[in-house]
Amino acid sequence: MTAVFGGLFVRMLFGFALQRGRFCTNSAIRDAILLKDNTLLKSVLVAVLVAMFGFAIMVMAGVIKYSPTPFFWGANLVGGFIFGIGMVLAGGCASGVTYRVGEGMVSALSALIGLTAAATLTVMGFLKPIKDYLQTSTKIMVGEANPTLANILGLPYVTLALILAIILAIVWFIIARKNKEESEPKSNATLVAKIFKNGWGWLVTGVAIGLINMLAFYSSTLAGRSYPLAITSGWIGITKIGLAVPDAKMGWDAWMVIGIIVGAFIAAIIASEFKIRWPGWKLIAQTFVGGLLMGFGAVTSAGCNVTHIVSGLPQLGIGSLVGSISIVLGAWLAAYLIFVRPQNK
Amino acid sequence: MSENINPTKTLNVCGKICPYPDMDTMTTLKKMQKGEILEVLLDYPLSVERIPRNLKKQGHRLISVEQISGPNHRILIEAHGLK
Repeated sequence: MTAVFGGLFVRMLFGFALQRGRFCTNSAIRDAILLKDNTLLKSVLVAVLVAMFGFAIMVMAGVIKYSPTPFFWGANLVGGFIFGIGMVLAGGCASGVTYRVGEGMVSALSALIGLTAAATLTVMGFLKPIKDYLQTSTKIMVGEANPTLANILGLPYVTLALILAIILAIVWFIIARKNKEESEPKSNATLVAKIFKNGWGWLVTGVAIGLINMLAFYSSTLAGRSYPLAITSGWIGITKIGLAVPDAKMGWDAWMVIGIIVGAFIAAIIASEFKIRWPGWKLIAQTFVGGLLMGFGAVTSAGCNVTHIVSGLPQLGIGSLVGSISIVLGAWLAAYLIFVRPQNK
Repeated sequence: MSENINPTKTLNVCGKICPYPDMDTMTTLKKMQKGEILEVLLDYPLSVERIPRNLKKQGHRLISVEQISGPNHRILIEAHGLK
């Protein structure tokens, strides 16, 4: 019990960082093609690199148990793709809509209700057979383990993760220097204002999310769960309690999502960015449908954007790699159909 | 300073979700003549930061970003007039 509550601080910190950094995988992926804006994408990549390096060190030190996601290519492809389409409709990924509820966005709440409903139906309702079929018929393992880049190449995870993280960081640094990328504008604001009042820059946000993910992995290991940040499982857990499913209890993940909302709420209040925002019924309907697609996709693919991209890629799991690519493709297709094409007409 | 400027057009995107504030702003600007002023009223923190960041690429000029109260902001933009 202490372990479960002990992690509450980590979760509130996560919600706080999400709100301050406007960290949303949906915006990150969509903006890259829609607005030609890579700011948030860079945050996501920094978070992945920091976690890759950090997880490797922590596995080496023996404080966490390495736990890559399973690989079932059919489920990863279909689920990820549907999730990607869903998050564009919902105007936010699983973590994005969760933190925006803390900012007072009613559209995010409607997306979240859709996500939770469909996720629960896929875990234990009428959508379960589809998920089960996709997962069992396409599952691939390496010996007894879930396939990862490491065990496919026959290298220890720690070595490969450290090497990859360092190479990727160097490559990025060289490209950034070559393109003479504009550094973030210097501001004269005080440190307190920078943390609590202004939005964070992409580098600060990425590093913060990466470090929080390391803390989360450790905290969840203490609670006997052994996986870093994740969102959808938390909402399913809470729904199960609501439906009075036997043996359902508030686990690490369930407290996680509560913590994110509280953390984001605190961040929004301090920055005076909290406001109940009503987007009109049409957008409420759109975000709800987006949420439904995300819920089904996340459970089928065994992971949302956070599980696959933010927590899974650093662990080099093939399931997360395929899941992540599908999410990106689904999001790009939806962004093209909904936003780009109507403009060109 | 920006109080003296009379906007040609006002766009209210309060309550809208990501990425509508940005998209609506860009589409409206595309339809405006060079030198016309667009006033955008919005309450979405991400777009308050993102719209000014991306204006330059389209050739439009940011005049000002003002906080009205809490998350409510007013952005003034001079259209480049691509049409």
